[in-house]
Amino acid sequence: MYTAPSAAGTLNHPDPLPAHALSLTLAHGAGEFLYISAMAITPASLRADSHEQHPHDRQGRQGRQVKEAENRLAHFNAERETIVAEVERRVLESRAAEAAVRRDASLEYVLNDVAFQEIRRLERGPSSSGEKKRVGEWKDLARHLAKMTEEEKRQRLADIVGTYTRDICGNFNPRVFRFATRLLPALISGMLAPGSIAQGISSLGDLSGKLIIDGPLERIRACTDRGTLVVTPTHSSNMDSVVFGWSLHRGGLPPCTYGAGKNLFTNPFISFFMHNLGAYRVDRRLGNGLYKDVLKTYSQVLLERGYHSLFFPGGTRSRSGGVEKRLKLGLLSTALAAYQKNIADGKPQRRIYIVPATINYAITLEAETLVEDYLAEEGRHRYIIEDDEFSRLGRIVEFSRRIMTLEGALVIRYGAPLDVFGNRVDEDGESIDARGRRVDPVTYVTGDDGRVQDDPQRDAEYVRTLGEELVRQFRRLTVFMPTNLVARALFDRIAAGVGTRDVYRLLRAPGGEAPIEKVREDVARLRTLLAQRPELGAVAERWAEARPGDLIDDALRMFRGYHTRPVVDREGDRLIANDLRLLYYYQNRTAHIAPELLA
Amino acid sequence: MSGAVGIIGAGAFGTALASLVAGKGTEVHLFAEDPATAEEIAAQRTNERRLPGFRIDPGVRVSADLGVVTGASRLLILAVASPRVAEVVRALGDVTTGRHLLVHAIGAPIDVGKTVSDLVRAETSIKRVGVLAGPALARDLAERQPCAVVVASPFDEVIAQARAALDVPARLRVYGSHDLVGVETASALSGALTIAVGLADGLGVGSGPRAVLMCRGVAEATRVAVASGAKERTFGGLAGLGNLLVRTAVTSGDRSDDYRLGVEIARGEPLSRKETEGSRAAVQGVKLAEKLGVRARILGAVAAVVHGGVPISEAAGRLADGVAEEE
Repeated sequence: MYTAPSAAGTLNHPDPLPAHALSLTLAHGAGEFLYISAMAITPASLRADSHEQHPHDRQGRQGRQVKEAENRLAHFNAERETIVAEVERRVLESRAAEAAVRRDASLEYVLNDVAFQEIRRLERGPSSSGEKKRVGEWKDLARHLAKMTEEEKRQRLADIVGTYTRDICGNFNPRVFRFATRLLPALISGMLAPGSIAQGISSLGDLSGKLIIDGPLERIRACTDRGTLVVTPTHSSNMDSVVFGWSLHRGGLPPCTYGAGKNLFTNPFISFFMHNLGAYRVDRRLGNGLYKDVLKTYSQVLLERGYHSLFFPGGTRSRSGGVEKRLKLGLLSTALAAYQKNIADGKPQRRIYIVPATINYAITLEAETLVEDYLAEEGRHRYIIEDDEFSRLGRIVEFSRRIMTLEGALVIRYGAPLDVFGNRVDEDGESIDARGRRVDPVTYVTGDDGRVQDDPQRDAEYVRTLGEELVRQFRRLTVFMPTNLVARALFDRIAAGVGTRDVYRLLRAPGGEAPIEKVREDVARLRTLLAQRPELGAVAERWAEARPGDLIDDALRMFRGYHTRPVVDREGDRLIANDLRLLYYYQNRTAHIAPELLA
Repeated sequence: MSGAVGIIGAGAFGTALASLVAGKGTEVHLFAEDPATAEEIAAQRTNERRLPGFRIDPGVRVSADLGVVTGASRLLILAVASPRVAEVVRALGDVTTGRHLLVHAIGAPIDVGKTVSDLVRAETSIKRVGVLAGPALARDLAERQPCAVVVASPFDEVIAQARAALDVPARLRVYGSHDLVGVETASALSGALTIAVGLADGLGVGSGPRAVLMCRGVAEATRVAVASGAKERTFGGLAGLGNLLVRTAVTSGDRSDDYRLGVEIARGEPLSRKETEGSRAAVQGVKLAEKLGVRARILGAVAAVVHGGVPISEAAGRLADGVAEEE
C-alpha cells in the first residue's frame, strides 16, 4: 500500500505544510481549491487523504513507496543558505575566471551590460513605479563604472548576484504568510456560495475519474531511487504547475521544485501556494546574461543536491495551442551540467532523469487570451501576460467547475524517463540504446582517463538533440480531446471551402460552418490515422472507440459553458464555428499532423 | 587520451587512407572483414584484390576482429562498401560505447531521408557522428597525390579529432564543416550526377551540353539538399562539386564505378556492376525530392535508365525537353 509522504514540498516555510495536501487542493478546481486550502491551514485536517485509494490510476500504486528521504524539498529550508552561498560563489568565480582571460568578459563589461539592459527595460517596458525609481541607480552605476576600482566592481557584482539569487530562491516572509492565512477564510466566504462548497466536497470522491494520469509511473518511481527527476511537461496554462503538483502526488511521485514566472507571485494569494509548492521565482523580464547565469546555476545546484525539478521546456505557455516544437534549452542544459558535476565529484551513479509529459485539457483556461496574443503576433512583446484569465480568480473558479463536470477532460500523460543524453532508461534506471543494450552514460562526457572533459560546444549539441527528442516525445504523448478532433475536422472543412489555411484570411471570410456528416467522416479519418501513427499522439482513451457522433456531442458540450460563446454550435445538420480564433486554437493541438496525411 | 584511429573496412579507400595516415605516425587499426585479407595485409603488407601493387605502411595494425579495433580506438572511420553498411553498423553496436566518435565515408543514403549517420545513431550508442567526403580517390591517396576531404559533424570535437588523426600535411588536407546533412547529401548525390555525366560521355555529347548537364546537376542537387536541411553552399564544396569533378575528369585514369556504369550503359557495353552507390543514391534522391516537393529531372533520368529500364535516348530526350520548359 502506498503511503504519501507526510511532510512534503515546503519550500519557504519554517513550519512545513504538507505539500500533498496543498497540491491536491490546488487541482480540485477553485471551488474546492479555496475550501481545502483553508482546511490545509489547520494541521489536523491534513492526514485525511494520505491513505485513500486511487482506483482510477492506470498504474497500480501498490508498488514502491516514495521514501521520505527522496523528498528533498522537506529539507530545503535547512539547506537554503548553503545553496544561496554556493550559487553566489560559483557565479562570481566563473565570472572572475572569464574576466581574467577575455577582455569582453571584464567585470566592467558585465556590469555595464546589466546596467544597460536594466535601464532599457525600466524605461521602455511595463514596470511598477517603485521599480522605475531604480533607473537612477543603474544610470549612476553606468556613469561611475570607469572610475571604479576592480575591488569596487567585484563588490557591486557580488551585490547584484546576491540580490538575484535571493530573488530567485524566494524570501519567505512570515508576515506575508500570516497575512495570507488570515485572508484566506475571508476570501472563501466572500467568494463562494455555501452550495458550491457542499458541491466541492461531494465531488472529491470521484475526482480521479475526471482527471486521468497515464504513463509508466512505476518506472519513473524506480528512477527516484537512483537519482533526480527533471519533469518536462508541455505548457498550456498557468493551471499546469498546480495540476502537475497534484498529479505527481497522485502518481506516487515526489514533489518537484520548479521555476514560476515572477508575475505569478504578485498576487499574494497565488504566491502563497507557489512558495509552498516548492516554486522558485523566475523574472522573465530580466534578460541580461548575468541573471540567466544565476538562474541556471541555481537550477543546477538544486539538481546536484537531488531536488527533483520541473521545467516547462517550451519556456512559456503555448500561444497557438499547438504542441511545442521549439524548446528553450537554457534550463534543460542544467540537467546535463549537474550530471557532469556529479561525475566530477565521484558520484557517477547519481543520475539525472528527464521525464517528458503532456498535459491535455479539453478546454484551456486562458485560450482566449493566448490565441489572441498569438494572432496579434505580439508574442514577443507580450511575453509575460499579466492580465489574463489566471489573474482573475473568478475565471479560475468558473474554469475549474467546468472542467470538473466534464468526465476525462484533463489527461496528464507521462512518458518513459530518458537520461540527459536522450537515451531511454530501463526498469533499473540504467541507460539503454535504441536497441535496448545498456549504455554507460558517463562515456559521453569522459575521456579515456575517466575524467570529465570540459567541452561546452559538445554539451550544447547534446542538449539540442535532447530537445529534439523531447519534441518527438511530446507529440507521441499528446492526448487528443474531442474538442481538438472536432475543431480540426471543422477547421479543415472551412479552410477547404475558402481555399486557404491562412487563419488571417479565414477570419475575414464569412460562413464558418460544415455539414455534421462531413465532420463525422473527418473525425473518423483522423482517428484511424492516429491509430496507425502513434508517433503523432493518441485520442483520449475514453473517445478512442466512441461513435464519432457521440464524440462530436461531447465536444459540443465541452465547447459550451466556459468560453464566452460556445466555440462550436450545432444547427440542424450543420456545425457552426462561432469563434474561429478559438476553433483555430483548439485545432492547433493537431497542427503537427500535416493535411496531406488526411487526404 | 588515445589518438588512435580505427578504420572500419579494408577496401581500396580504407586501405589507402590507413596507410597514408599511419605514415605520419598516427596509430592506425584497420578492420578487414575478410580474415584472408587481414592475413595478407599483416604478412605481405599488400591488399592485392583491392589495391593491386600497393605497399601498405608497416605502422598499420590490421584485425578481422571488430572488437579489437573499437577497443583500441576512440575515433572510428567507417569505410565499408555501401551494401555492407547496415550489417557492419549493427555489429558495431555490440562493440562500441558512448566514448566512440564515428565518421563515415559512405556515399549513399540508407533509405529515403535516412542517412548513414541516422543509422549509426539508431543502431549503436554512439552520439558523436560525422561524415567524411571529398575528391580523394583511393588511388590518389595511395600515390600520395595532394588530396582534400571535408569532415562534417555538429560536434567540434569530432572535426578536431578527425583532423588530428587524418590530416597529413601536403598530402591530405582535412577541412571541417557543421553541415552534416549537407555533406552526406552532397556525397550521395554527386555519385548520382557522376552517372549522368558518364551517360553523356558514353553518348559522346559535346563539351557544351556536358557543361550544361553538370551545372544543372549541381543546381538540382543543391535544391534537394537545401530542402532536406543542408546549407546552400555545401554542394559547391568538396563533397558535391569536388567529388563530381574528380570522378568525371577526362584526364583521370582512375574512373569511378559510377562513371563507368554511365559510360557502359550509354555504349550498350556489358556492365561491370549492375548498380553502384551513385545509382542507389539516384533512386533515393528521386524519392526524397518527391517527398520534399522539389524538381529533380536529372536524378529521375539516372534512376529511370539504371533501374527503370528506360532507354537512354528517351531519357535524354525528356531531359532536353525539360531544359526547354523549365530552365
